[in-house]
Amino acid sequence: MSENGVTLALRSVSKKFDEFVAVDDLSLEVRAGRIFGLIGPNGAGKTTTIRMIVNILAPDTGRIELFGEQMSERLQDRIGYLPEERGLYKKMRVGEQLRYFGELKGLTAREAETRLDRWLERLKLSEWKTHKTDELSKGMQQKIQFIATVMHEPDLLILDEVFSGLDPVNAELMKDVLLELKAEHRTIIFSTHMMSQAEELCDDICLINRSRKVLEGSLREVKSSFGRRAVALRAEGGDAVLKDARLVAGVKSYGDYVEVVLAEEADAQELLRRLVESGARVTRFEQVEPSLHDIFLQKVGESA
Amino acid sequence: MKKLLVIIRREYLGRLRTKGFVISSVLGPLIMIGFTVVPGLLISMQTSSATKVAVVDLTGKMYEGVRESILTSRDEEGDRREGGRKNETAQPAVVQPGGEAQLQQAVQAVGAQYEVEQVATGGRPVEEIKHELNARVRKGELGVYLVLPEKILEEGRAEYYGRNVSDPITTSQLRHSLNRAVIEQRLREANIDQNRVRQLSKNIVLETTKVSEGGLERDSGGGFALAMFVGLFIYMAILMYGQVILSSVVEEKTTRVSEVLFSSVKPFHLMLGKLAGVALVAITQYALWAVAFGAFALYGVGMLASRGMDVPLPRLPLSFAIYALLFFVLGFLMYATIYLIVAAMVTTEKEAGQMAMPVIFLSVISIYLAFPVIRNPNSSFSFWVSIAPFFSPITMLVRIVTETPPFWQIALSLGIGMASVVFFVWLAARVYRVGMLMYGKSASLPEVLRWLKQS
Repeated sequence: MSENGVTLALRSVSKKFDEFVAVDDLSLEVRAGRIFGLIGPNGAGKTTTIRMIVNILAPDTGRIELFGEQMSERLQDRIGYLPEERGLYKKMRVGEQLRYFGELKGLTAREAETRLDRWLERLKLSEWKTHKTDELSKGMQQKIQFIATVMHEPDLLILDEVFSGLDPVNAELMKDVLLELKAEHRTIIFSTHMMSQAEELCDDICLINRSRKVLEGSLREVKSSFGRRAVALRAEGGDAVLKDARLVAGVKSYGDYVEVVLAEEADAQELLRRLVESGARVTRFEQVEPSLHDIFLQKVGESA
Repeated sequence: MKKLLVIIRREYLGRLRTKGFVISSVLGPLIMIGFTVVPGLLISMQTSSATKVAVVDLTGKMYEGVRESILTSRDEEGDRREGGRKNETAQPAVVQPGGEAQLQQAVQAVGAQYEVEQVATGGRPVEEIKHELNARVRKGELGVYLVLPEKILEEGRAEYYGRNVSDPITTSQLRHSLNRAVIEQRLREANIDQNRVRQLSKNIVLETTKVSEGGLERDSGGGFALAMFVGLFIYMAILMYGQVILSSVVEEKTTRVSEVLFSSVKPFHLMLGKLAGVALVAITQYALWAVAFGAFALYGVGMLASRGMDVPLPRLPLSFAIYALLFFVLGFLMYATIYLIVAAMVTTEKEAGQMAMPVIFLSVISIYLAFPVIRNPNSSFSFWVSIAPFFSPITMLVRIVTETPPFWQIALSLGIGMASVVFFVWLAARVYRVGMLMYGKSASLPEVLRWLKQS
């Protein structure tokens, strides 16, 4: 769909409010047809970054390119933005509200009407079309907001905390929809605090903290490049082996198993061999990758 | 541009369907009709039966004159204007048109009547007669009684007793009648023919004619009233719809819809769309009222005319009506931008508290400015105030109806007016975007000025 498969590129983008630097020299690329996780602690500059991408704010310096063009008002129609703080007119009927948002994204009234009907059907909200928005539950409003974000079939979707307020059933439904949209080769930027969700959905991630980029890359690369290797172990005996500082850097106990952090240069195979030799009964031996959660904590901790 | 229309349509249609709009559209004319019809009905109810007036004449020679004067009292104003052509018929219920005082006219229209009777003194002391008459007044047999002292001609004092002494119509009519009778008696005793005096003291009639580019036209003074009316209408519309604009902007802030909107449209378009949509609602409301009022006025004027009442309708050229409409719309938009800017600065409607202040301030100033402009419509002062934003809707209209300025000046005034509206909308949009999205809080004036400097 786009040049070099890059949907969105930020080039040395900075934004200051008075003396406060919200985003400092941020560069990143979001590739087409992938789910890109923008993660970071509160106040890291995520919302400001997103607002610059959707052209609500203009960067002080740097460039934002969407589909190979300088970001402009015209390109706004190809973006769908679901802000973290939801916004719907309380007294408007669901159908009218969606049609209005659709038309503001350049759809004709008729196009908007057919699409909103299809989406309401898909998200099981058809019978609510003529109700006023404030009669809906929070989760339903959340889904209405989501329809308003996707109904104009944007090439780039920006979803801030899309799962908040959804029960597990609806969260699962939403996840299916997102994967469908991804299969249609749409690009999704996914911003969240929930690392487990990011881990489950994202192809690529970018971690920002204190206005700066801390970490970037595909989820796989990030995890494997992350220097921490560990083994989940359940065994009877072999305590002496675990005390060998050449092999083991540390042991954390988790209920019925322990997490063994390998020493630098040590090999998991070597550990297993030594355990078996020592006569320990091994019932679980699994090499574990660091979770995104751990990476987040460590990286944010480091840069604090 | 297409999106702007979408916004205008939502603001307009959404508001037409609200209960408030429907209610005020129906209630407005009803209240208007109520204010004009009900007082008339009330007055006609009170005076539907003749008021009995008893006269205690201590001079022994005034009664006949006073009686005639009271029974013909309604002719008095007409007599004066028509130069003393005395109406000899003493028919009290005859309606005579042309009174200048509206009060008088209202009474005439409903046909107030008096019955006059003389109280025989029979040499009794005054206090005793009064006592007797007071009793009759209390019983309701008598409305009013007048005591004419012996020295009424010299001292010019008489006494009025009645249950209701604060009824302005009766007291003023009786005072007028008594006054006339006393003056006539004085003239008679000085051997002066009162008819001759009337002829000699006949008032003049000043016919005012306006000289303008279109030739000579008669101007009944309705022109100036038109300018003031437009000013009043602008002010009323702002009072009604300024708050609507304010809450419409603030609602989007509190519900956080604005962030979604700004990812689709420019704040400038949003603000302009709101202003235009609400202005259309206001115009629609006024148009509905105008139709209702027009129908009522036609009916009412016809009814009054059929009862012999002459209702002077201001005759104004069509161009005035068009200018009045244009400047009304311009004035509404200008003052509405004040609400737009304040709405951009605050986060809740409560904070907007003293909103109406600058609007009142500016509109009062423009009414004050109208007076020097009337006196000197072509001075350079008049020129400058009639093109200045916020003052032009009223001052330029005053100039148009008094001494129509060259067309380019009117066009300039409209042009500057519209440009300033666009500028203020832009300003509001800027304050809105910078203030809300960057800081998410209400702004003080210095902060706003600082934000305007940054991008």
